[in-house]
Amino acid sequence: MPIELNELDTRFKYDVADEPGGKNIKLCFACGLCTASCPVSDIDPEYNPRKIIQMVLLGMREIVLSSGFIWLCAQCYTCQAHCPQNVNFSDVMKALRSMALREGYVHPSFIDQIKEIDTLSQKLRHQMVVSIVDRKSKGVRVDPAKLAEEALKKGEWRREDKG
Amino acid sequence: MKTKDRPIGAVLVVGGGIGGIQAALDLAESGYYVYLVEQSPSIGGVMAQLDKTFPTNDCSMCILAPKLVECGRDLNIEVITCSEVLDIQGKPGNFKVLVKKHPRYIDLDKCTGCGECVDVCPVERPSEFDQGLAQRKAIFRPFPQAYPNAFAIEKEERPPCGLTCPAGVNVQGYVALVSKKKYQEALNLIKESVPFPGVLGRICPALCEQRCYRGTIDEPISIRALKRFAADYGKREESIPEVKARKEKVAIIGSGPAGLTTAYFLAKEGYKVTVFEALPVVGGMLYVGIPEYRLPKNILEEEIEGVKRLGVEIKTNTSIGRDLKIDGLFRQGYKTVFIGIGAHRSRKLNIAGEDADGVIQGIDFLRQVNLNKGVKTGKKVAVTGGGDVAIDAARVAIRRGSDVTVLYRRSRVEMPAREEEVAQAQLEGVKIKFLVTPIKVLTQNGKVRGLRCIRMKLGAPDVSGRRRPIPVEGSEFDLEVDTLIPAIGQAPDTSFLGDSGIKVTERGTVEVDALTLETSRKGVFAGGDCQTGPGVAIEAITAGKRAAESIIRYLKGQDLRRGRELEEEKLNGSRTTTPSPFPLWEKRKPRQKMPILPLKKRISGFDEIETGFSEDNALKEASRCLDCGVCSECLQCIEACKAEAIDHTMEEEMAELEVGAVILCPGFEEFDASLIPQLGYRKYPNVVTSIEFERMLSASGPYQGTLVRPSDKKPPKKIAWLQCVGSRDASCNCDYCSSVCCTYAIKEAIVAKEHVPHELEATIFFMDMRTQGKGFERFYERGKKEGIKFLRAKVYQIEETNGTGDFPVRYLDEDGRIATAEFNLIVLSVGLRPSKETVETARRLGIQLNQYGFCRTMPFSSIETSKPGIFVCGAFSSPKDIPETVIQASAAAGSASTLLAPGRNTRTKIKEYPPEIDVNEEEPRIGVFICHCGINIGGVVNVPQVTEFAKTLPNVVYAENNLYTCSQDTQERIKEKIMEYNLNRVVVASCSPRTHESLFQETIRETGLNKYLFEMANIRDQCSWVHIHEPEHATAKAQDLVRMTVAKTRLKKSLKPLSLPVNHSALVIGGGIAGMTAALALADQGFEVHLIERSSELGGMARRIYYNLGGEDVHSYLSHLIRRVEEHPQIRVYTNAYIVDAYGYVGNFTTEIMRYRSRAIEGIEHGVTIIATGAKEHKPDAYFYGKDPRVLTQLELEKEIAKENPDIINCDNLVMILCVGSRNSERPYCSRVCCNQAIRNALRLKDIKPEMNIYLLYRDIRTYGFYERYYQEARQKGVIFLRYEPEDKPRVSRRKKDGEYLLRIEVEGLVLGEKIAVDADILALSVPMIPPEEAKELATFYKVPLNEDNFFLEAHVKLRPVDFATDGVFLCGLAHGPKSISESIAQAKAAASRATTVLVKDNLMAEGIVCEVTEKICGGCGICDVLCPYGAITVDQKKNVAVVNEALCKGCGTCASACPSGAAQLRGFMRNQISAMLAAALTEA
Repeated sequence: MPIELNELDTRFKYDVADEPGGKNIKLCFACGLCTASCPVSDIDPEYNPRKIIQMVLLGMREIVLSSGFIWLCAQCYTCQAHCPQNVNFSDVMKALRSMALREGYVHPSFIDQIKEIDTLSQKLRHQMVVSIVDRKSKGVRVDPAKLAEEALKKGEWRREDKG
Repeated sequence: MKTKDRPIGAVLVVGGGIGGIQAALDLAESGYYVYLVEQSPSIGGVMAQLDKTFPTNDCSMCILAPKLVECGRDLNIEVITCSEVLDIQGKPGNFKVLVKKHPRYIDLDKCTGCGECVDVCPVERPSEFDQGLAQRKAIFRPFPQAYPNAFAIEKEERPPCGLTCPAGVNVQGYVALVSKKKYQEALNLIKESVPFPGVLGRICPALCEQRCYRGTIDEPISIRALKRFAADYGKREESIPEVKARKEKVAIIGSGPAGLTTAYFLAKEGYKVTVFEALPVVGGMLYVGIPEYRLPKNILEEEIEGVKRLGVEIKTNTSIGRDLKIDGLFRQGYKTVFIGIGAHRSRKLNIAGEDADGVIQGIDFLRQVNLNKGVKTGKKVAVTGGGDVAIDAARVAIRRGSDVTVLYRRSRVEMPAREEEVAQAQLEGVKIKFLVTPIKVLTQNGKVRGLRCIRMKLGAPDVSGRRRPIPVEGSEFDLEVDTLIPAIGQAPDTSFLGDSGIKVTERGTVEVDALTLETSRKGVFAGGDCQTGPGVAIEAITAGKRAAESIIRYLKGQDLRRGRELEEEKLNGSRTTTPSPFPLWEKRKPRQKMPILPLKKRISGFDEIETGFSEDNALKEASRCLDCGVCSECLQCIEACKAEAIDHTMEEEMAELEVGAVILCPGFEEFDASLIPQLGYRKYPNVVTSIEFERMLSASGPYQGTLVRPSDKKPPKKIAWLQCVGSRDASCNCDYCSSVCCTYAIKEAIVAKEHVPHELEATIFFMDMRTQGKGFERFYERGKKEGIKFLRAKVYQIEETNGTGDFPVRYLDEDGRIATAEFNLIVLSVGLRPSKETVETARRLGIQLNQYGFCRTMPFSSIETSKPGIFVCGAFSSPKDIPETVIQASAAAGSASTLLAPGRNTRTKIKEYPPEIDVNEEEPRIGVFICHCGINIGGVVNVPQVTEFAKTLPNVVYAENNLYTCSQDTQERIKEKIMEYNLNRVVVASCSPRTHESLFQETIRETGLNKYLFEMANIRDQCSWVHIHEPEHATAKAQDLVRMTVAKTRLKKSLKPLSLPVNHSALVIGGGIAGMTAALALADQGFEVHLIERSSELGGMARRIYYNLGGEDVHSYLSHLIRRVEEHPQIRVYTNAYIVDAYGYVGNFTTEIMRYRSRAIEGIEHGVTIIATGAKEHKPDAYFYGKDPRVLTQLELEKEIAKENPDIINCDNLVMILCVGSRNSERPYCSRVCCNQAIRNALRLKDIKPEMNIYLLYRDIRTYGFYERYYQEARQKGVIFLRYEPEDKPRVSRRKKDGEYLLRIEVEGLVLGEKIAVDADILALSVPMIPPEEAKELATFYKVPLNEDNFFLEAHVKLRPVDFATDGVFLCGLAHGPKSISESIAQAKAAASRATTVLVKDNLMAEGIVCEVTEKICGGCGICDVLCPYGAITVDQKKNVAVVNEALCKGCGTCASACPSGAAQLRGFMRNQISAMLAAALTEA
C-alpha cells in the first residue's frame, strides 16, 4: 500500500520547525550526509536520519513520534557539525522527543531514564578527564569499568536538580 | 556634440582572463582604445590552466592561445600586467583611473622570452600555474604561451636575514647560490658587501640567524657556516676586479676590520689607500684578539691579501701620534683620513694588588699569545669577566695546561659571551663561578698567590637592563691562584688625538655623526671599536663600509646623507620586515651540525675547532632556506640575459588613465578546500582539487600528462570526485551553486579514463547532477556510457588507510544502506568564489557586492554594476562557465560601445604604411635572417654555418644571423637591409609563424613590400628543440629547412586581398526580448535596424512570463522595451512578416521578406544578420494533458496564477512533475529554466496560500548559481521535493470518488523505499522549450548549421557563442538554446556587440590566401562545392566550372586538396611553390 499523502498530517513539519531546535528541518535536501556519518546507523542499519526527516516532512506524525528510532540518537552532533544545510539533526531529535512526550507517545519516566543515562555518560567522561589530568596527561590509559564503578558508587551522576 | 562633452573613446578592462580578452578584442575592433589591466604577469586567466574544455573536450590552451596572440597584436589594446586598479573617479563617459604597476624587474621591450635567465636562477617556488604540484623559478613566465611573452621576477620584501645583517650582506642570495653548487658566485656575492667572508664565516655572532624565519618552523638556517663554506670552497677561482685608478689619496689609521673594510671599498673605486698600523701585524683585533682555534691566521692573512691585491698599501709598525700626526697626513697629500684604531686598552679592576706579578690583562694576554711572545701562564689561573675576551682567555689558558676558573659577578643568563662559546669552554674543563667577584689580589713577594672574592646576589635591573649584582655581606672567601687575567672591558686609546681638533666623548671614544661617521674635523672619519667601544667584527666592518661610502661622497663633493635612508633605518632599528608567508606544511628538517674536532685534540693545541661543513652538509643546509624574499637578488640573471632586459632596481609606478567606461572581469578563485578539514585536503597528498587535477591531466602539467597520483607517482585505478565542495554548503557560507563543477567533473572523469584506458574506475559522488548548459546533458549521458559511475551521495569524510595513500569512502547508497568503496585518488570539485583582492578592489571602487562577495548586478541586466558606466562580466557576477563568460564579455563591450558611441575612433591608433611597391615582375632578391634565439637555437644549431649556407642559395642576395631576430632593433635592421640590398622577398628562420609571422610581415610592409612576400622557416620548435642532443644533424636539418623556404620564396607573388564595402544596417530576425534588445543595442549606436517578427506583436516568449525569480516584473520591463523599439527612429519593425529568401555575404546581405497580409515581397539590404527566432513550449502527450483541465504546463499555470484563478490559488494539493518530455531519448537535452520556473510558481502559490501542499517531483534540481537560494526558500516554505528515477516515472491516473474524478499521482518514494500517492487538485508539468519549425529554413538561407535538437549551432561552443562560422551572421536568445531572460538579454547584447565590429567598418579586407580555380582544367565535378565549410565555392551550371566567392573563402585549402584535376589551388601555397619546397627537401646537401 502506498503512503497516502492526503491522509497525513502535513502540518507536522511546521510544528517540528516551531519547536526549539527544529527550525531548519525543512531545509533538508536529502543528501544523506547525516546518515553516512552517524555512528548509530553503523550499529543499526535501520536507523536512518535522512528517512526520519523525510517522514517528518511528509507529515507522518504518528509513526515518527511513536517510533523507537527517535530515542536512538546518541547526540554526538557529528551530523549536525557537517550538515550542508544546517538542519541540526541532533536538535531536531530533541524536538521530536519532547513532542513525543508532550503528545503522550511515551511515559515521562522514560524521559527521566534517558536523561539519567545521558548525565551518567557525561559524568563518566568528566571522571575520565579528571583522571587523565591527574596523571599529567601522559596518555595514561583509564579503566572505564573502574570509573563507572566509582561514579555509580558516589551516586554523583544523578541530576542535581532532582534534589 | 561638442568635443568637450564627447565621451572618451577608451575603455578600461580589469582582468585578463578569457572574459577580459574577449571584451578587449570586441572593443578594439569596434573603434575603442582598450587598457587591459591584469594582476599577474600574463593574460590568460584560469582557462590557461585547464586541460580540456567541456563538452567538446577541446584542448583549452590550443583554443585560448590564438586569442592571446590576437590581443597582443592589436594596436589598440594596451596590456598592462602586474598591475591593479586603485581608484576610479568621474562619471560615465569620463573616468579617471589610478593604476598601480608593480615592478616586473624585466623590460618588456627588451625581453625576448628566450628563457636563459631561468636556468641560472637558484630560487625555486611552487608554480601557481601548476597549482603547486611543480616548481618554478623566482624568475619565471607562467606558461610558455603567455602574453606578454616575457619573464617576470617575483620579489617580496627583503628577507629578515639580509635586513638584520648590519653590513647588509645578501644572505638569501648566497645561501641560494650554495644550494645550486655555485660556490664561487656565492663568494663573489658576499664580497660585494664585506671583504672578509672567511673571517665572518668563523667568528660572526650571526644576528641574521636569530631572525631567520625558518626558526619559526624548526631551527634557523646555519647561515654563518654556509658563509664559511662559500668562502672556503669558492675562493679557488677568485679574480681581481678591474678598476679605474683615481688620483686621490686616503689615509687609514688602523688595520683592523673597520680600517681594512674602508680600504677595500675605496680601493675598489680606484682610490689610492694607505693603511697605517702600529702593530707589527695586520688585522687589528682580528689578529691579536682572537685565538687561533677560532680563527686560523692563514684564513685572515689570505683575506687581507685580497684587500692588498686591490692596491692597498699597508705600513706596519707605524703609529700615528708617535710616528706621524693627523695634520702631517694631510700635509703629505692625503685628502681624507679614517680612524679605525680599535679598543686595545684594558679597563682596570681597581682592586688592591692589581699590579702584582701574575696579573695580566685579558686582551694583553691574548695579544701576546697571538704574537707568539713568550707569556707565562701559571698552574692555577683565574679569569674575571663574562665577555668573549674572558672566555677566549680562559680557553687559551686551558690549552696551555692551566687549571682555569672564570669568575663572573652575575649569573649565566646575564653573561655577554656567546652561549656556545661558554658551553665549549666548560666542556674543555674551564670552571665558572657565577655571582662571584674578586675584591683583593692576595700577593706574596709581589707575586699573586690568591684572590679574595665575595659572593653577589642580583638586585634590580640597571641601565643595561640586566639585574645589578650586589655583594652579599660576610660571604668573602679566598681562592688559591697564581695568575689573574682580568677581562672586564676595553676602551680605545685616543690620547694621540690631543690637538687634532677631533672631539672625544666622555667614554673616551671618537665622536662622529652617527650616519656619515664624520668626526668633528671635516674630512676625518672614524668607525669601529674606537668609535663605539668594544663590539663585534661585523659592526666594525659595517662602519668601514659606511665610512667608505661617506669618503667617496666627500671626495666627489657630494651630499653625504642623501639617499641613505635604509642605512639610517637600520641604524635606529626601525627597519622591520614581514616575510612572505611560507608553506605551513613545510616539513621539519634538522639543522646540519657543524663538525668539530674531538675534545682531546681540541685542548691539546690550537687547531681550528670547527672543521667546516662538507659539501653534503652545505647543500642540505642551504636547501632548508625558505626563500622568504622569493628573488634572492643573486643577480645571476643579469649576467645570463643577453638582451639586457633585467632591471632589479625597478620600482612601483602609478599611472592615470582616461577612459569612458570600465569593464570588470577579475574572475574567481577556487574554494579553499582546507576549510573543510574532514575532507583531508592538504593533509593527504592524494586528495587534490579539481583544478590541480586539470594540471595533472595536462600534457604541459607537472606529470607531463601521465596520470599518476602525487604521493607515489603511480597510476590510480580508482578515482572519486566529490561534488559541491564549497558549494551548496551553508556551513561555510557557500550556499550557492557553482554551476560548472558537475560538468567539469564529468569532463575530468572522461579525460582521465582516456589516460588509463580500460583500467580506470571513475566515480562521481553528487547530489543533483547539474548539466543544464547547451549540450551538457548529452555529455552526462556520454559519461554514463563510458562507464563513469554516478553515485548520488554526499561523502562525509576522507581518511587514509595508513600509509597506503588509499581511501575507504563511506557513503549512503541509493537504497539507503551505508556502503564503503576504496579509492586511490580523491578529486574535490571545488566551487568558485571571488578572490579576496577582487572583493577589496570592488569595495574600494564602491561597487555593491552580494552576501558572498560577488558583484551585485541590476535586474534583467547581468552586466551592469551598481555604478553607471562600470560593467561586469564573467565569474565575478556569478559562477559561470566559459561560453557564458564570453557572452557577457561581448555584452559588456557592446554596452560600453553604445555608451561611448560618439567617442568612437577618437582614441584609436591606425598604422599607416607606405604605398606598396610592385615587385612581381622583378627577379627575386631574397634576404635571409637567421635567429640564434639566445641559445635556444644557437646552442644546438650552428647558426653562422647555416647563414653561410643560406648565402649560397639561388636568389639569396643577403643573409645574416641575429641574437634575436624578433627584437625591436633587429626589425630596424631588417628594414635597413631591405633598402640597402633592394630586397624584394624576406625569409626569417627562427621560431613559429603562429606567434611571430605577423610581426615580420609588419616589418616588411613598413618598407613598401607586400606582406605575402615574407616566409618563415621554423628551426627552433621543429629543429633545435627536438634535436637538442644531435647538433650536427640539427644544423643539417636547419639548412634543409632554409633551402626549402628559400625555394618557395623565390616563387612567391604579392597577393591583393579583396576589399569589400560594408552596408551599415542590420537585420534582426525575431521580435522577442533577445531580438529587441539586440536591435536597440545597435540602433542606439546609430545603426539602422530592420526587425522582423512573424507574429502580429512584439514580445515573444516573454509575453507568457509574469515574474522573474527575485520578483522583477517582466511585463512592465517588456512593455517598456516594446515601446522603445517601436519609437526608435533607427528601427524599422516588420510584424506579420517572414523571410522567403536571403543571399549575399558579410557586409552585403539581401533578405527578401513577405508580409502575411499583403503577400508583397520586399528586399532588405543589410550588412549583418542577427538570428533571434526564439523557441516555443513543447506540448506533451502524457499525464492527461489536454484531456483533463486540471493538468497544465508551467507557463499555463503561471498565467492562471497571474489571473488569480480561484481553482488554482485556493487548491489544497498541487503536484508538479519536472522533465516531462525532456532529458529523454527524443529530446536528450535539459531545458535549463524549468526547475527555476517550477520553483518560481511554487513560491508564488506559497505566498498566496502558505498552507497549500505542493509536491514537486523532480529528477535533479538544477537551480544553478544564485538560484539555489530560491530552492532553499521553497523548502523552507514547505514545498516538498520528491525525486524520481527516469526508469520509474510518476504515474498519473484518474479514479472516481464521490462522483468526481480524482487526479491520482503515484511516485516511488526513493528515500523511504515505499510508494507515495497523492490525490491532486492541480498537476503542473514542466515541459521543455523546443525550436520553431522555421529554424531549418533560415539555416539554409544564411548557410548556418543547426544542432541535433534543431537549435542553431554557434561557430564554437566555447569561444564564439554568438557567432556563426559564416561571417556576418550572429545568434542570440532561445534560438541558441533554452535560457533565462537575463541570459537572453546578455546574449542579445553580445550578438549586437559582435555585429558592431562589422558595422563600424567601411570596408572589410578579405583573406589574401584564398582559393583560385583554373577554369581551363576544372571539370565542374562539384567536390569542392560539397566540401567547402564556408559555402564559398559553387559550380557555375552554365559554364560548368567552380567559382570562388573570395569574400567568403577563408583559405582553409580543403578544396585544393580534394580537387581531382588540380584546378583549385590556394594562393600563397600554389602547387609550383609546394613542389619547389619538396624538390629542395630532396636535394642532396
